[in-house]
Amino acid sequence: MTAGRVRPVAPARPRRTPGRLRSGLLRPALTGLGAVAGTGLLVGALPWLSGDDPARTVLRAREVEREPDPATLDALREQLDLPADPVRGTLSWLGRAVSGDLGTSWVSGQPVAEVVPPALGVSATLAGTAATVAVVLAVLFASPAVRRAADGRADGGGAAGVLAAALAALPEFVLAVLGVAVVAVGWGLLPTSGFTGPEHLVLPVLALALPAGGLLGRVLAGAVRETAGEAWVRTWRAAGVSRAAVQGAIARRALTVVVPQVLLLLVGLLGAGAVIEAVFDVPGLGRVALAGALAQDLPVVQAAVAVLVLLGLAAGGAGVLLHRALLGPAGTDGGLSPELPPPAPGAGRWAAGLLAVLLLAVLAGVLRDPAAQDLGDRLAAPSWAHPLGADALGRDVLARFGAGALPSVGLALLISAVVLVTGVAAGLLGRERAGLADVLNALPAVVVGIALAAVAGPSLAGAAVAVSLVAWIPLAVHTRTLAAEVRASGFHLAARTSGAGRWHLVRHHLLPVVLPPVGRHALLRVPQTALALAGLSFLGLGAGAESPEWGRSLADGVVYLERAPWLVAVPAAGLVLLGVAAGLVRTGR
Amino acid sequence: MSRPAVRVAGVLLALPALLAGCFAPAAEESAGSGQRLALALAFPPVAALSPFSDDAALITRMGVGETLVGLDEAGEPAPLLAESWSRVDDRTVTLDLRDDVQFHDGTPLDAEAVVGALTAAAAAAPAPRSIDGLGLSARAVDEDTVEVRVAEPDPLLVHRLAAPGLVVLAPSAYADPAAPDPVGAGTGPFELTELRGASGATLTADADHWAGAPELAGVDVTFPADAAARTAGLRAGELDVAVNLPIAQLPMLTDTEVLSVPLPRLVSLSLDTADGPFADPGLRAAAVAAIDPQPVVDAVYEGRADVAEGLFDDDTARGLDRPAVTLPPAADPAGTSIRLATYSDRPELPEAAAVLAEQLRQAGFTVEVVVAEYAALETDLLAGTYDAVLASRLYLGDTGDPVGYLSADLTCEGSYNLARLCDPAVDAAVAEAATLTDPEQRRAAALRIEAQVLSTGAVVPVLHERTHTGYAPTVSGLAVDPFDRLLLGTQTTVGE
Repeated sequence: MTAGRVRPVAPARPRRTPGRLRSGLLRPALTGLGAVAGTGLLVGALPWLSGDDPARTVLRAREVEREPDPATLDALREQLDLPADPVRGTLSWLGRAVSGDLGTSWVSGQPVAEVVPPALGVSATLAGTAATVAVVLAVLFASPAVRRAADGRADGGGAAGVLAAALAALPEFVLAVLGVAVVAVGWGLLPTSGFTGPEHLVLPVLALALPAGGLLGRVLAGAVRETAGEAWVRTWRAAGVSRAAVQGAIARRALTVVVPQVLLLLVGLLGAGAVIEAVFDVPGLGRVALAGALAQDLPVVQAAVAVLVLLGLAAGGAGVLLHRALLGPAGTDGGLSPELPPPAPGAGRWAAGLLAVLLLAVLAGVLRDPAAQDLGDRLAAPSWAHPLGADALGRDVLARFGAGALPSVGLALLISAVVLVTGVAAGLLGRERAGLADVLNALPAVVVGIALAAVAGPSLAGAAVAVSLVAWIPLAVHTRTLAAEVRASGFHLAARTSGAGRWHLVRHHLLPVVLPPVGRHALLRVPQTALALAGLSFLGLGAGAESPEWGRSLADGVVYLERAPWLVAVPAAGLVLLGVAAGLVRTGR
Repeated sequence: MSRPAVRVAGVLLALPALLAGCFAPAAEESAGSGQRLALALAFPPVAALSPFSDDAALITRMGVGETLVGLDEAGEPAPLLAESWSRVDDRTVTLDLRDDVQFHDGTPLDAEAVVGALTAAAAAAPAPRSIDGLGLSARAVDEDTVEVRVAEPDPLLVHRLAAPGLVVLAPSAYADPAAPDPVGAGTGPFELTELRGASGATLTADADHWAGAPELAGVDVTFPADAAARTAGLRAGELDVAVNLPIAQLPMLTDTEVLSVPLPRLVSLSLDTADGPFADPGLRAAAVAAIDPQPVVDAVYEGRADVAEGLFDDDTARGLDRPAVTLPPAADPAGTSIRLATYSDRPELPEAAAVLAEQLRQAGFTVEVVVAEYAALETDLLAGTYDAVLASRLYLGDTGDPVGYLSADLTCEGSYNLARLCDPAVDAAVAEAATLTDPEQRRAAALRIEAQVLSTGAVVPVLHERTHTGYAPTVSGLAVDPFDRLLLGTQTTVGE
């Protein structure tokens, strides 16, 4: 050990402090401005990227059936006052936006300031409530694990965990349509659509919060299990601290991992709720951004994206601060002692069993013809000829389930592996502050999708890239959160002061603690990744129109939910089995 | 819990509470007596109900605004705000206004108001489709008489005045002449008293309407863009009337009635004649022979559409002679690869495309189907990126006349020519038909052009669509309009 290798550790703080003070407000302001300018430029460049004439797309938004005569387009172009190029257009937009003038919508002619803020308010109400409910659900799902951890056990919580993993695999739009059919139409308890009062919140919030709550619950339960192995739990229990106090402390310690995830979820829901907003006719920002992006209504999309990106950065920063605040004094050097928990016994067998069921169903389907149409069997119920029923074109559902497994699950697993590597790398190497990840997380998928469709062309690869672009973010934030705790731990400090190199620290101290929970998190997200692959098919991105891919099958079948429930139930069951199995997989040593 | 944890919990719980005021504005409770009807229209206003956009049809369907003339079931002009009219010459018409009409703001409908409305429409950029590029001008002859003039001889001048874009609003509506505001400014049976962005509108009956007081006291309108939301609202009893219901969900409407009205709307497969495999007339003939619309109508449309014999339906043909179609000899597809595109905005089209693709495969083509939302697809559709396009088109347009459709969709210079057809003989025939003044002659000419076009194999007619409006059994008096412009009127009622 040499003095030279020790030095970076101790004096680091005093040296950084003045810089921090100087840039206390300057840096976030600059980051925000840069992000708004950058994303504003991306939006401003959409017409140039896509090659679609904005005059034509705006005309289409105003008058669906009107022929795009050259004279009509010229008249409109003059009215829109299109910028000569994206850079100049974005700069002048920025200049006006800073002075408070957001311009008028190209489609409706209304001031943007009267369109975006009310929609943001509606979306914020929806997303905020959904995120809160998701946290409550997550705590409920993790509470068995907390109780056991307080008793010094790391096993169990099986039923709650399975339920949470199953929920995490459910598509939001299926829950939404199911909720309308059962609760609103069947029982008449709640309104079917609209957004004029709190009673309109229940169904959309449940549709958004159940999958999110399931996922967060699993992540939380994992964090609880890791916490249970920490030395202080044994010490507290040995010292006779009350069970409730130990439970509360464990829950709080585990929540530190989940809080940044909740903020990511909150911001993600703000701009990306277009599907749920459409099902419930909610006038939210997701729909405004979607319609605006499709019509290339640049003033509206630029304003919406700017608001979302700023909120995303703010939430990202808040996530970091909250995490630090929750860790409290323990977050300083040597205060924590994350340890590796023993893997839960028996879970692996269950996972293998579920995967075997899934595999058998897929194998049974692969032997059949997924493309053969028989219109006479339209929406046929399950029978000997069609064991799982037939779809709207009389195609065998079992065959399509089998044929769809590889394009949906295979690709989703591949993407998950890639984003796990990216996320862990970004989380370990990146600094603990809001940045690119928060900006990407806040961008409406349609903006990314249009840009990608323009660059990569409408293809499955385009969809895979679009999904990967955002899928690494929760994993990176999870990694960053855990890494911050490890860096604050005694063994890490000891290794650092013993002169361990950066790579050694990552290899021997960070990865072993970070990788198992983040890997499990990535596995939990596989079903949602499979769904997301079909989520941009309205732009032509993704598998072909006749592909038996599960996400596509679900989206096509949901309109027949009540007439032919098997169209939705079969691929949904596939995703749930996959999700539960993935949730049970052992990622320990 | 310790302080930071309490703070976190507080922040999370306070967030929704802070935003609790952020709901969409609700309709104000109306105190008036009488029945109100809950109506769901299909598309939210795109331009705050400015008539110089698709919102024009919303204005007429809600019974808020009216045009000078209407179209009868045969597509011929019928009196509305104008009681009668006479052609002065082939470029000019004078219209006598109804003299007992008041706008909802109390001002009378006189020649000055009509001239103002027509002038604003003609000056809009772009002007409403039916009068765009005609150099239309209007002047008041006397208090109740208006003279309308166009630059070139125009046999359809009166028909054009029936377009919803030419609704006559009170002078106060034209404060911004580029985006007139119909709130409190229409002449219809219902006054638009409040428009709440894209989420809803409140209508109040106009007891002084020239055709008599409406039976209803008012109407509450919402605009759920999602068809399933409209169906669900109807089934849950929240809505009395919902328009544009998807065929897939009609069987679930067990307690409601469905009004199905045939539309002048053709679903057809356009084959790209300019390049790619279908530049070969033999392969086009092979595709025409391969396609059988009957299974599409029976299965995908569940019998709620009509197999298309030609471009136009029998109501448009009106018993006139349909000349025979002669196709060139069919070539052998021999595995030729084609790309067939359609859009998902009309929910039945992707399924129909899958059925047609299978039929083409049986005939020996190799087919890839591409589906996306229309807005993401239009540029490529018109640029000939795909070899075949399955699309749905209105062929009687704003004027009830078929020649405009032929000109836009099937001539060399046509701006919506999906088949990219450029046939000098078709162009000449369309140009000649456009000069005819007699409606029957125009239709006969349109049918001759139809045969000419079908003989090229550029367009394969599949079916004619209907529109499906669901309504509670207590509702009566809905307007049946093949042009999809009218829905509510003075006779519309809803029971307890």
